[in-house]
Amino acid sequence: MRLKARQKPNAVVPTASMADIVFLLIIFFVLTFNVDVDKAQVMLPKTGLRFEVPKKSAVISVTEAGQIRVSSGEETSTTVSGYEDVLAFAAEQVARDAEKAFILKADARVPYQTIDRILDSLKQARASTIYLLSDQETVEGAG
Amino acid sequence: MKLPKRTVSDEVPTSSMADITFLLIIFFMVTNTFAATRGLDFAVPKEDKSTQTIEKQESVLLAVHPGGRFEADGRAIELDKILDYLRPKLERDPLKPVIIRPDPDASYGDMVRVFDVLRQGKDKGVEVRNISIPTQREIEQFWY
Repeated sequence: MRLKARQKPNAVVPTASMADIVFLLIIFFVLTFNVDVDKAQVMLPKTGLRFEVPKKSAVISVTEAGQIRVSSGEETSTTVSGYEDVLAFAAEQVARDAEKAFILKADARVPYQTIDRILDSLKQARASTIYLLSDQETVEGAG
Repeated sequence: MKLPKRTVSDEVPTSSMADITFLLIIFFMVTNTFAATRGLDFAVPKEDKSTQTIEKQESVLLAVHPGGRFEADGRAIELDKILDYLRPKLERDPLKPVIIRPDPDASYGDMVRVFDVLRQGKDKGVEVRNISIPTQREIEQFWY
């Protein structure tokens, strides 16, 4: 009986679909692309309820060490020296856009008196909405 | 003189496509940040002296103390019991103001925990419509 001639396996790796996969990944990254205007490392408080913050909102961040940084939401944040600067910054933002939302990105361990002064500055500047940035509370962390 | 006939390939060269797209992916991965973009919203009441007429006796005062201790109207309370405490009061008066008053040395995280509990009340049948977080300046200005 004559055996069939052995089939030679093709040594070429098929890469035609590679570009398709990579393009899908690019589309994902383009859609989720988000440049963080404030790079301050903070441990956010955890909440069960969270809402999406409006894009281009002004950001005020407070680190555990008490360093305060502000950003209008369009450029990288800069450090401010005191609460008067926060008030001046907030007043300027509200003067430009009365409905401007403010994001408070503060470390959960910060003493409340720091937050109180910042909230007071925002109230005095007649800010309309403040978002207290938070992380999602997990079931383990709920107790 | 006979010139050699040159054949032109009719295929589009796509072998470098994957390289280019991988470079793009690397760029997006490096520059992208999965920023925290969610939080609790807090509508700031307009500062109008005529509306600042909340009487302390008519409202529920939730104090936040250092170390994560909480008090409701001067009595110690667990965080998960706050809504049970508010339920009968809000059934009588749904617009009863609930004032969060953290100690200056309490942590911001504990204040947010109380605020979160109150905001979640709506889903648990205890809707707290009137939450107030007065600042120290407002307290000194309007309460004393």
